[in-house]
Amino acid sequence: MMKSVWKFSIQMLFLIVVYQVGNWTARFFHLQIPGNVIGIVLLFVLLWLGVIKLEQIELASGWLLKHLGFFFIPISVGLMTLGDIFVAKGLPFLFVLIISAFIGLLFAGKVTQTVIMKNAKEKVNFHDHAI
Amino acid sequence: MITLYSILITVSVYLFVQFLAKKYSSPLTSPVFLSTIIIIALLVVSNISFDEYKPAKTIMTYLLGPATVALAVPIYKNRKLFTKYFSAAFIGLSIGIVTTITSAIVLAKLLKLSNMFILALTVKSVTVPVATEIGRFIDGNLSLIAAFVIITGMIGAMFGAKLLSLFKIHHPFARGLAIGTIAHGIGTAEAVKEGEVQGAVAGAAMGIAAVLTSIIIPYIIELI
Repeated sequence: MMKSVWKFSIQMLFLIVVYQVGNWTARFFHLQIPGNVIGIVLLFVLLWLGVIKLEQIELASGWLLKHLGFFFIPISVGLMTLGDIFVAKGLPFLFVLIISAFIGLLFAGKVTQTVIMKNAKEKVNFHDHAI
Repeated sequence: MITLYSILITVSVYLFVQFLAKKYSSPLTSPVFLSTIIIIALLVVSNISFDEYKPAKTIMTYLLGPATVALAVPIYKNRKLFTKYFSAAFIGLSIGIVTTITSAIVLAKLLKLSNMFILALTVKSVTVPVATEIGRFIDGNLSLIAAFVIITGMIGAMFGAKLLSLFKIHHPFARGLAIGTIAHGIGTAEAVKEGEVQGAVAGAAMGIAAVLTSIIIPYIIELI
């Protein structure tokens, strides 16, 4: 028990450090890319180069990802400050946000799936011709 | 004292909603959506303003950064998929971003919403920390931007999976990509639950969409 708490804390500390390094990099080079995205790239490269092994961070990263939604809740509570605007314009806002989100979801999903299927088919056809 | 109370109700409401979501799975029990509503109601009843809630928010969101970084793990595990579907991902992502932003602008114009709202709508699909950065850059209303981003995330988390299934989009890679592109982190949190591929792709799509959007925004704003 003690051992896994220790392991978990070290892993968490490591993820915090990677995140902060991402932030510093963004600020230092005046990048338009946010620190957390740089952090993702950085951790990916570390895993890819084998500097870090999956087992060495899986405990903390698994826990964080399982509760990813939680971290957005306190931010969302900020919606309470916009009560007035939403009373006045709530319906048109919701309409625009819902329809445009649905359009984006469908286009992104359908196009991606179609291209994947098409590429797979072409490979199969190519294979057929070869035979 | 208020901070401790705020943390206590946030965590307990989250745990309660998770338990509820397991029992009754529906868009209404989507964790971020339902927890937010219950917490706001509790704060209002307890007479606590958002300013008083803020210290608690700062403490609780401290791990959002490392949690986002942790998305590298599923991306790494599924790295072969990304090279395999590279062209599909790039085309799908770009079309998703462009269609969602354009449709939002056109609808807002039809409804005669003012430019302040239209400006905030352009970044609605970008993850919170990036959206506020872009918001500063384009001189937008930051709290309005945060609200649009969060609501868009909730819409994606609540209805995304159902909508994609309805239109026969079943490929896990395509599903994750759509959710991550449009509904950023809040959607990704749901995608992680649907499956590891979906979660990994959503996380990567969220990052790439944020970068792509920040590149094309200046051109889109000229058109408004």
